[in-house]
Amino acid sequence: MKKDKKPKVLWLQAITCNGNTHSFLSANNNRMRLFLNSFDLIYHPSLTTDITIKEIIEKKINFDFLLVEGAISSNKEFFSISGYSPYEMLNILVKRTKYLIAVGSCASYGGLHAKFEQNSDIQGIGDSLSAENLYILKHPVVNLTGCPAHPEWIIQTLFSLKDYGKMALDEKGRPKELYYGLAHHGCTRNEYFEWKVEVKHFGLKEGCLFYEQGCRGPMTHSNCNKILWNDVSTKTRAGMPCIGCTEFDFPRENMLETKKNIGIPNEVPLEVSKRAYLSLTGVAKTFKIGRLNKKLID
Amino acid sequence: MRTVDIVERIEGEAKLVCTWDDKIITNAQIEFLNFRGFEYILEKKAPLDALIYTPRICGICGQAHLKATVEVLENIYKNLNYEIELTNKAKLLREIGLNIEIIDSHIKWFYMFIMPDITALSSKDFSSYKPLKGEKWLKSSFITSEIIKSLAIIGGQWPHTSYMVPGGVVSDPTLLDLTTMKNYLDSAINFFEDDFAGVCIDDYLSFSKAEDLDKIGKDLKDFIDLCFEHGFDKIGKSYNRHLVLSSTELFKVGKSNKRVINRVDLERIEESCEYTFNIDKNKQSKEAYTWAKNVRYADNFFETGPLSRAVISKRAFISKLHEKFEDSVLTRVMARMDEFVHLLYITKNLISKIDISEESFVKPKISLNEIKNAEAKSVVEASRGSLFHDISIKDGKISKYNVITPTVWNLGPGNKSEPSVAQKAIIGLDSIEKAEITLRSFDICSVCTTH
Ligand code: SF4
Ligand code: SF4
Repeated sequence: MKKDKKPKVLWLQAITCNGNTHSFLSANNNRMRLFLNSFDLIYHPSLTTDITIKEIIEKKINFDFLLVEGAISSNKEFFSISGYSPYEMLNILVKRTKYLIAVGSCASYGGLHAKFEQNSDIQGIGDSLSAENLYILKHPVVNLTGCPAHPEWIIQTLFSLKDYGKMALDEKGRPKELYYGLAHHGCTRNEYFEWKVEVKHFGLKEGCLFYEQGCRGPMTHSNCNKILWNDVSTKTRAGMPCIGCTEFDFPRENMLETKKNIGIPNEVPLEVSKRAYLSLTGVAKTFKIGRLNKKLID
Repeated sequence: MRTVDIVERIEGEAKLVCTWDDKIITNAQIEFLNFRGFEYILEKKAPLDALIYTPRICGICGQAHLKATVEVLENIYKNLNYEIELTNKAKLLREIGLNIEIIDSHIKWFYMFIMPDITALSSKDFSSYKPLKGEKWLKSSFITSEIIKSLAIIGGQWPHTSYMVPGGVVSDPTLLDLTTMKNYLDSAINFFEDDFAGVCIDDYLSFSKAEDLDKIGKDLKDFIDLCFEHGFDKIGKSYNRHLVLSSTELFKVGKSNKRVINRVDLERIEESCEYTFNIDKNKQSKEAYTWAKNVRYADNFFETGPLSRAVISKRAFISKLHEKFEDSVLTRVMARMDEFVHLLYITKNLISKIDISEESFVKPKISLNEIKNAEAKSVVEASRGSLFHDISIKDGKISKYNVITPTVWNLGPGNKSEPSVAQKAIIGLDSIEKAEITLRSFDICSVCTTH
């Protein structure tokens, strides 16, 4: 493919830890090569590119995809990018792009950085487009939530938009096909969840992390346990509870504990009634399945 | 004359403001203008939540922050006389995870940050190092994404796992998991031998003379040659004072100010805000120009990082280079690369030492949420140098959390009478390119510097 035919991608970093960048750079190498062969990444602040952000602005260069990592603020005292506030930068660049993609939970909703209350206007992209730019995009902003976003989510989104021009989004702006399921799906601990066998404590392969450890898998939209992290694992497979990093309310409080009321988790799996859940738990517990109550490998 | 240059590709950006006198830099001000307020964010949070927050201070060294946090929380228990005895397996799994992150970071740094700058000085064809396009760059990105898988096996993912928790680690690897981890490290060793240095790892590890530099081939040789060609063996020198705050299998704690002393006293660390912005304008000094603070040990600026670690633990090859080339750009970069090889070797051995029949986790007897009043500190060696965390807990919540990152030691502002470590290394240079490469030799991370 000729270089100038490739869609142009610009990656902007706003208020971030750069975790999405490092997540992306850790992508499966074949996928990364395919991405680099099919797209022209014209600018990324962590990489040496032929052009600077200043030149892009001054020469009014257009591109196809604007990927934004990090939350947005108009407060230049706390944050500036080459002399612009993240808000100004976003609103200049949005005029030059076809698609705008929020990479990660900070870019989508403000994420963890919005907890810095002393800088009171930290927000996600959706809330940071100026009135004149609000309707400028031909496609709604795509939110690839997650802290960080999975590299595959980024690559799949870019290719889908390149080939089909649009994607179905859920009410939170996330691609339905990536976020329809729950982190719970595909978790290797699911059988323990079904039979209500809780993990005795951290550091074990045996047991589910829902009842004590605060696992948000059953309430968190993401496909972590289907498209594995770094090709090899996920938090819940390894033994860390899902902390719900793809959801609007991340980060929550007491993420490594399950809030309970008389022994019952305060929140039960999505759309399950608490009473029904309780009776189910009672029944499931009577089964006492030997296999699930001993070590997987003795 | 004054010049202002934006330095990019440092996990964010900084401004380098130089004052010139007859083509020589007489003063260099490094301005970090971005601030995310992590220490404020952590206030009033549940102590365990810090395990989720602090790794997000930095996308590239999150595991170092995780380890510092888990240890500061364990030190809280210790200070209250409820000492937690970690199993050896848990200790090993933590150190292994951190080492893998450092290995990954060092390789990325060489190909993403050092080579693009230094090859740009040459008129020869170095297009294979070109980011995103060159074969060498692509290969390095392939190998880092392979290496980091070995951390994902025990952490579930990278970046941003919180697999270390007070009492141990959350994961329980099988023998096959451990074997696979070693396999990924073997790929990295192959990369080192075939592409990076062109020497077999055992030969490399036996290097003990400065002349052994000549035995190095491949990509690292390209760096060494360019370094000599452009005089980087002579520039970038600073105080040549070194500090390492914590020890591991490879690193020893200590400081060196001409001679090495294997002891440091954390009470002698002092942070200052003389030139630092304050979120409360009334408290801000008139001279404030950056969000970075400065930090000194026993009233002196000290360098921290791979060179300091090699000097303090007297690693043979780098010690010899250091004798000959002092704390130049050449030595600093070589120390970081030498560290990556040693870590590869050591980490493989650490994996072999794991006894999978041991517990991964021992549950602490009381919850941190029940703690009325306590304080603790912790120290960790991160990719870029020594990391320090300091926590206070009141009524079960974090009341204060202070973080001093490695980059604050090296890249913060100076004080009235003395420039900081990186400032001193830049003053006296005669070109902005050299100044930027010297700055970069400290492995700058903007997000960490200001946090
Ligand atoms: S550990 Fe979490 S994701 Fe896995 S089965 Fe239990 S609740 Fe679901
Ligand atoms: S498992 Fe949960 S916390 Fe982990 S990355 Fe997926 S959505 Fe985020």
